[in-house]
Amino acid sequence: MAGSPKHGYAIMEDIEAFAGVHLGPGTLYGAIARLEAQGLIEPLPTEERRRPYRLTASGVAFLQEQLTGLEIFASMGLQRLASI
Amino acid sequence: MKIQHYLVLLYPHVWRERYEDELLAMLEQRSLSFTDGVNLFFGALDAHLHPHLGTTGMSLCERMIQMISTLRRSLLTIFCAYIGFILAGWAFQKMTEYDDFVEAARTHSIVGLSFNLVVIGAVVALLAVLAGGLPIVIAVIRSALVQKRRGPLLLLAVPFLAFAVFLGTTFLLEALDHPGNHLSPVWHIFLSRGVFFGTLILAAIVSVGSVCIAVARSEISEKLLRFAVLPSILVTIAMALILAATIIWGLGLRDAAPQLFAGNDGIVRSSTAATWLGIVIAMAIATMLAAISLIRGFSARSALRNAAA
Repeated sequence: MAGSPKHGYAIMEDIEAFAGVHLGPGTLYGAIARLEAQGLIEPLPTEERRRPYRLTASGVAFLQEQLTGLEIFASMGLQRLASI
Repeated sequence: MKIQHYLVLLYPHVWRERYEDELLAMLEQRSLSFTDGVNLFFGALDAHLHPHLGTTGMSLCERMIQMISTLRRSLLTIFCAYIGFILAGWAFQKMTEYDDFVEAARTHSIVGLSFNLVVIGAVVALLAVLAGGLPIVIAVIRSALVQKRRGPLLLLAVPFLAFAVFLGTTFLLEALDHPGNHLSPVWHIFLSRGVFFGTLILAAIVSVGSVCIAVARSEISEKLLRFAVLPSILVTIAMALILAATIIWGLGLRDAAPQLFAGNDGIVRSSTAATWLGIVIAMAIATMLAAISLIRGFSARSALRNAAA
């Protein structure tokens, strides 16, 4: 959803493509329901029974914070590995 | 209807109102594997345990009404599970009042200790049910008096009537069991076991059902329902403790007094081991039901607190 709004099936395919992980439908919709309840994503109007979701402003901020943390963590790990 | 439709039906009503159509649209795009089916099953269980999921489309007022209703249903389910547990516990108490079991509890420490734990757990659970339930019953009576409705009061009287009917049946059975009455063995078994246990279980179901209906139809404050979650935690923990102690009691008895465990000193002279196993299974089902309802109730309580903040 960071790139563009996506519906459930597109999210599942995207995760399979970039992470190589198959997300079960129960897990996916459990995550969608939680993210929506926390106000991190919001639904868009339905398109042929499929409902796309997009990140909200607080979702973007939260993702930014998480990815920055991961970036710092990854670069620190790589630096330490390089010193071996 | 395809299997995925049935699996989606396992989700709570509120959740389905919000996500069912889009989830089915997604599932129709590829064939459902076995692991996806299992995943949907656990997804439905997760949605039941977290009833606030799927309520984002509702207004704040609708959401609060929904969570209060969920909290009330969860508390009533814990109460029903407790009564089921009590019936199993009563069977355990009846079985262990025989002299042989009393002697085993006195001579074998593991049997005696686990039996004492069952008694302690039962007292704790009863006190917790009274602490959480009595304020609700008082609220039901007060609400009925203020609104001048006799229905809830009559419903609350049902357990006393059911108990009176049960006592009456017991006295009647005792009178019929008199040596002067030459009953055939089949009639004797039917009266002493069938009618006795039938009346007991029916009285329990009618009593619990009437109390639940009275509570469900009365105005009870959110504060009172939220408070009742705390004693419910204690009730569920006590039920789990009694279950564990009953299991240890049976295993301890099997090791300490194998001839007693293998005998026929169970309920109505049935197998001791089978009676113990039946009691453990009934207690385990009741405890699991209470634990699931407690998680559900706790989740609804947290959602109510967040909504009010």
